[in-house]
Amino acid sequence: MKIFSESHKTVFVVDHCPYMAESCRQHVEFDMLVKNRTQGIIPLAPISKSLWTCSVESSMEYCRIMYDIFPFKKLVNFIVSDSGAHVLNSWTQEDQNLQELMAALAAVGPPNPRADPECCSILHGLVAAVEALCKITEYQHEARTMLIENAERVGNRGRIICITNAKRTFLSSDSHVRMLEDCVQETIHEHNKLAANSDHLMQIQKCELVLIHTYPVGEDSLVSDRPKKELSPVLTSEVHSVRAGRHLATKLNVLVQQHFDLASTTITNIPMKEEQHANTSANYDVELLHHKEAHVDFLKSGDNHVGGNSREGTFKETVTLKWCTPRTNSVELHYCTGAYRISPVDVNSRPSSCLTNFLLNGRSVLLEQPRKSGSKVISHMLSSHGGEIFLHVLSSSRSILEDPPSISEGCGGRVTDYRITDFGEFMRENRLTPFLEPRYKMDGSLEIPLERAKDQLEKHTRYWPMIISQTTIFNMQAVVPLASVIVKEAMTDEDVLNCQKTIYNLVDMERKNDPLPISTVGTRGKGPKRDEQYRIMWNELETLVRAHINNSDKHQRVLECLMACRSKPPEEEERKKRGRKREDKEDKSEKLGKDYESDKPWQESERLKGLLDREKEELAEAEVIKDSPDSPEPPNKKPLITMDEMPTVEKAKGPMSLLSLWSNRINTANSRKHQEFIGRLNSVNNKAELYQHLKEENGMETTENGKTGRQ
Amino acid sequence: MPTVVVMDVSLSMTRPVSVEGSEEYQRKHLAVHGLTMLFEHMATNYKLEFTALVVFSSLWELMVPFTRDYNTLQEALSNMDDYDKTCLESALLGVCNIVQQEWGAAIPCQVVLVTDGCLGIGRGSLRHSLATHNQRSESNRFPLPFPFPSKLYVMCMANLEELQSTDSLDCLERLIDLNNGEGQIFTIDGPLCLKNVQSMFGKLIDLAYTPFHAVLKCGHLTSDVQVFPRPEPFIIDEEIDPIPKAINTDLEIVGFVDIADISSPPVLSRHLVLPIALNREGDEVGPGITDDTEDENSANQIAGKIPNFCVLLHGSLKVEGMVAVVQLGPEWYGMLYSQADSKKKSNLMMSLFEPGPEPLPWLGKMAQLGPISDAKENPYGEDDNKSPFPLQPKNKRSYAQNVTVWIKPSGLQTDVQKILRNARKLPEKTQTFYKELNRLRKAALAFGFLELLKGVADMLERECTLLPDTAHPDAAFQLTHAAQQLKVASTGASEYAAYDQNIAPLQTDFSSSSTERM
Repeated sequence: MKIFSESHKTVFVVDHCPYMAESCRQHVEFDMLVKNRTQGIIPLAPISKSLWTCSVESSMEYCRIMYDIFPFKKLVNFIVSDSGAHVLNSWTQEDQNLQELMAALAAVGPPNPRADPECCSILHGLVAAVEALCKITEYQHEARTMLIENAERVGNRGRIICITNAKRTFLSSDSHVRMLEDCVQETIHEHNKLAANSDHLMQIQKCELVLIHTYPVGEDSLVSDRPKKELSPVLTSEVHSVRAGRHLATKLNVLVQQHFDLASTTITNIPMKEEQHANTSANYDVELLHHKEAHVDFLKSGDNHVGGNSREGTFKETVTLKWCTPRTNSVELHYCTGAYRISPVDVNSRPSSCLTNFLLNGRSVLLEQPRKSGSKVISHMLSSHGGEIFLHVLSSSRSILEDPPSISEGCGGRVTDYRITDFGEFMRENRLTPFLEPRYKMDGSLEIPLERAKDQLEKHTRYWPMIISQTTIFNMQAVVPLASVIVKEAMTDEDVLNCQKTIYNLVDMERKNDPLPISTVGTRGKGPKRDEQYRIMWNELETLVRAHINNSDKHQRVLECLMACRSKPPEEEERKKRGRKREDKEDKSEKLGKDYESDKPWQESERLKGLLDREKEELAEAEVIKDSPDSPEPPNKKPLITMDEMPTVEKAKGPMSLLSLWSNRINTANSRKHQEFIGRLNSVNNKAELYQHLKEENGMETTENGKTGRQ
Repeated sequence: MPTVVVMDVSLSMTRPVSVEGSEEYQRKHLAVHGLTMLFEHMATNYKLEFTALVVFSSLWELMVPFTRDYNTLQEALSNMDDYDKTCLESALLGVCNIVQQEWGAAIPCQVVLVTDGCLGIGRGSLRHSLATHNQRSESNRFPLPFPFPSKLYVMCMANLEELQSTDSLDCLERLIDLNNGEGQIFTIDGPLCLKNVQSMFGKLIDLAYTPFHAVLKCGHLTSDVQVFPRPEPFIIDEEIDPIPKAINTDLEIVGFVDIADISSPPVLSRHLVLPIALNREGDEVGPGITDDTEDENSANQIAGKIPNFCVLLHGSLKVEGMVAVVQLGPEWYGMLYSQADSKKKSNLMMSLFEPGPEPLPWLGKMAQLGPISDAKENPYGEDDNKSPFPLQPKNKRSYAQNVTVWIKPSGLQTDVQKILRNARKLPEKTQTFYKELNRLRKAALAFGFLELLKGVADMLERECTLLPDTAHPDAAFQLTHAAQQLKVASTGASEYAAYDQNIAPLQTDFSSSSTERM
């Protein structure tokens, strides 16, 4: 695929000399008498177009099809030639549309039949065309700037389509053609020399000259057709001799298809209401042009539905596809291997405009391949996107991805409590929208919206537990006002207020001892106690807020509020302190790093998440720690909570296994059947201190031993 | 990318290979050994690949149609008989047919040709095929280049010296050239033995059958994934940028779009995105068709219970009917979505858009897509009832802007009729009458078709004379006015024939004066 092929630049040179004002001698009846009108009126005489009109409307049709199918990167420069060259537009994209060209043509007007033919010539136009081809287009410029040292890779090729009448040149056809070709050849040679020393011009590497001699119907052609021939490494030339009127239009239609690799598809069986009888409908066909890639499956498999060749354009090669009336408006994601813009061949005909209007209103139509066998194969789809109609190529062959393993069979497939709805909400918040106006950052540099989108995703996922049982706060409606604004880059004062309100609300809930939606999955028994639940919740909330404190001072204020409000009963305070001490010993290094990490809140959040997990584990251990040998001082004697009946040996090692649950039960049952040992009865938390008399002398050592034993 | 293994079973493949101190080997055995290794690799690491086995001599036979059952392929290797001479052309033609019948012309295929470098003699030999290559018509076209995107890997059961001693290597190289350079020739390094065959097939595996591993990222949420089939490097423009582009191994989600908005976009290729659990050695435990080894099953079960971002993403994409836009490289994007194979099975799928800054015109430039929170108001509306997509192009296409085309007489006649119809309903249809009249005027001026203006003017004058007595007096005034304006425009004089100037309705006031006239 080449962007800068010959079809990147097309120059039309249309003869505007006096002889072009001659009639094409093909009559058009324009005064069609409608039925049931007063009889006896003689219709007005038919009129006929001039050679000029025929040439202009055919070239406009060429441009119409080209602009429809390639609105970008395929450019036209329109030149009319009489006593001089009139360049009607430039290569810039703004000039590339039919309205501009039509307005410019209207300003030129038809050729003046009374002008002096001696001073008029098509040569002026051809010279101007070569000049135009040397001019750099914005796309070429952009590509050259981008490639810098490889700028020479950007090609400069083009095509000149010259429509003229050779009648009045008093030369034989061959010499006339040769004169035009020589002129182009010489001009290219000269201009390439000029371009070599210029930054704004480019040398022409390849130029295709298409000479079209057009003459009134009924006359004999003075010029004979000649297929494409290489005149020099830079220039190829071909000659077409065409009668004016619809023959010329047909020729240019064939050429536009050749030049832009187009192919034709006829949509058949389109049901359409009859104009006269609105309640009946007949089936119509509409022919569309599009890039031939849309037929790639037919081309390669040689499975053409319609034979023939398009040499003379009399018998057109078209692929017929059948309309499938859409049943629903459901949105489906089809596997589409290509989408190509279309242009109706007969744009204003009723069937064409019915089809295009139907599509422009947002409906899509599936197209079916007519097959001899019964099976129905949907191979294409017509659909409009923002006022442009595309022919989508749908894959109709067997999929190489058939029968894949289901996602539930793979990694993470057995987990059932994903936060699907929450992530759906997350996705909707992170939808994209176009920002067409350039925006600038604080430092004046251009802001790339897509980078902003990535930034936002980064912020929104700093703390985002994937499953329901991993989180408390995201299961609480009460936290939503805070969670939804804390991820923002900047908060308003109102946002801060809302966050604070949320925190106060939580404090209130804690005071009232409201239950929390803490997951009990994977925890034993009834799960943690209420105050522990709140501790988990506060920790998680702190993790979330901490992940964002560096966004702004306002985020910091939320954290401050949170820290101030977190209720910490003295008992818990102490427990925590001890926990922290233990932790000190376990991962001193991590602690040391903490301060340095603070500028990377997300890392912190990861760490905090880890902390959180550990704290959850600690929960189970907490009670044990209280009285375990590594406690430096036994706490004030309090009645033991739940522990007294349970043997705690297992407990100290984290989550309880089924085995230990079972043995606990058995032990309890057994304990009722025998008398308890004195030592166990007197024990503190099921531990009897042995050799108590040694404590006086050696107390310190015991604890030390206990500690090392634990680690 | 399906694979076709094309195995040479001509007599020359039975030539013995001297392997010291063991029983006698034939080249065929070396080939079987290599293919066994390839199939074993695929069975463990590339399970979803469809592979077919073709054997050929002067005839060809499809031994195993496309399958993922590598045991069957393995078995077939041990059931191969020896036949006559090598005739590559017919075998390649066979490959064309097999692939096109199964997959059509759009799906890329890898063809692994296993031969000994003896390319046959006489008619049907590769030498003969190449010699006659230029004298062919469309009906007996040489099968290369394959009509589908392809890679042709030639595995030679011979070493380089041996191939160079004849013109075999040249012929094989021409074969690759004929396939537009898509493919590679592998030869055995050193003496022919099992070990060197293994290393040759090892190179093929490295080149074409290593799984593509990547990390799928959405901010801090990540997952290790395998992308199957492997995304192929892509050449954007052979002239400007001839270096093939490969996708990143970091697949970064940049945001989300509704399915209705992305609207069945054209894609280069589709790939399964399968979450994998990488263990310490870097081997994957994960996707694929259920395997019988128990170890793997238990590992799979453990991995199945660890929450994975892919599963979460897939679930939400499916429920919400959305796609995730993913960046694959500089100016290269794709989309992730849930694809249901049947009612029960669905999967996370990734499609690659064509590289470039604006792969989908209806989304606009990808770099210009930003988060909705940056917009002044939510472009999706408070009730999620609108959408910023599709983007409208600057210029309307011809079918959307009521262009004038008079190439067929019917086009012109329709336009004249419209004016006439409205002329008869004046003054009610004054607006439409002038609208149609001006449309015709503009086109006639642009096309230099002044005769038409004159003709229509005459027609309007005639209509004026045909007005019934009951007609509103304004009708006659407007018709006369319009006819006169067209007449002056038909002179082409610049003051009357300006393109941008429209004929305005004649200002009349009959409501006040009508009673007096009566």
